[in-house]
Amino acid sequence: MTTIPQDDLFDLVQAPIDVAALHRRVRGAEDGAIVIFDGFVRNGSHGRATKYLDYEAYEPMALGKIREIGAQLHQKFAIHRVAIVHRLGRLEIGETSILIAVSAAHRAAAFDACRYAIETLKKTVPIWKKEYFEDGAVWADGELPPAPPAAKPAS
Amino acid sequence: MLFFGRVRELAGHCEEAEELPQGATLADLFDRYARRFPALAGFRSSLVASRNQEFAAWNTKLAEGDEIAFLPPVSGG
Repeated sequence: MTTIPQDDLFDLVQAPIDVAALHRRVRGAEDGAIVIFDGFVRNGSHGRATKYLDYEAYEPMALGKIREIGAQLHQKFAIHRVAIVHRLGRLEIGETSILIAVSAAHRAAAFDACRYAIETLKKTVPIWKKEYFEDGAVWADGELPPAPPAAKPAS
Repeated sequence: MLFFGRVRELAGHCEEAEELPQGATLADLFDRYARRFPALAGFRSSLVASRNQEFAAWNTKLAEGDEIAFLPPVSGG
């Protein structure tokens, strides 16, 4: 397995995400497959029409947790390169909020790693989404990250 | 102290400094905020604390200069 973590890309951005650029970023001659997860803003939630979303993050911690996910992907799966980029701020319907691209020699590792990355991100990365509707706004239901076990007395 | 999402809206601001007695824990700090912002009281089980950008148990002892947040359930992606 060749790991080239220095070619990985982890970022939080305000500007629109360039999916094609990230696709090129992870693509190498030794790869045989790239799996891309493109998460974007849906036009409704729980039967209500969404106007737009607003994402906020605990930015340094969120980027740290995203980097941890990237490191885990290299440990767990036979992949080559990873790009994980999350957009923050106001996003309109159809705009990409999260892009994960994983390259590998073979498709199974790329699929598995990409799935692991988005599922883990949704549980552990401190980013919050507020949904705006015609008649109000709500913080999206989220997942509470697991807290570590109770600290030892002498921490 | 840093505040995000629902907790930021409850507290009405993003950031402030807090002085605590020696040996105080995250739980002590939370109790102090729950007294200031009664809407927070009863919500501890729906929050996870972080200390210096790592998730931390409520009985973690705090030290000068620690960066603390009480994080609501995350909803990125």
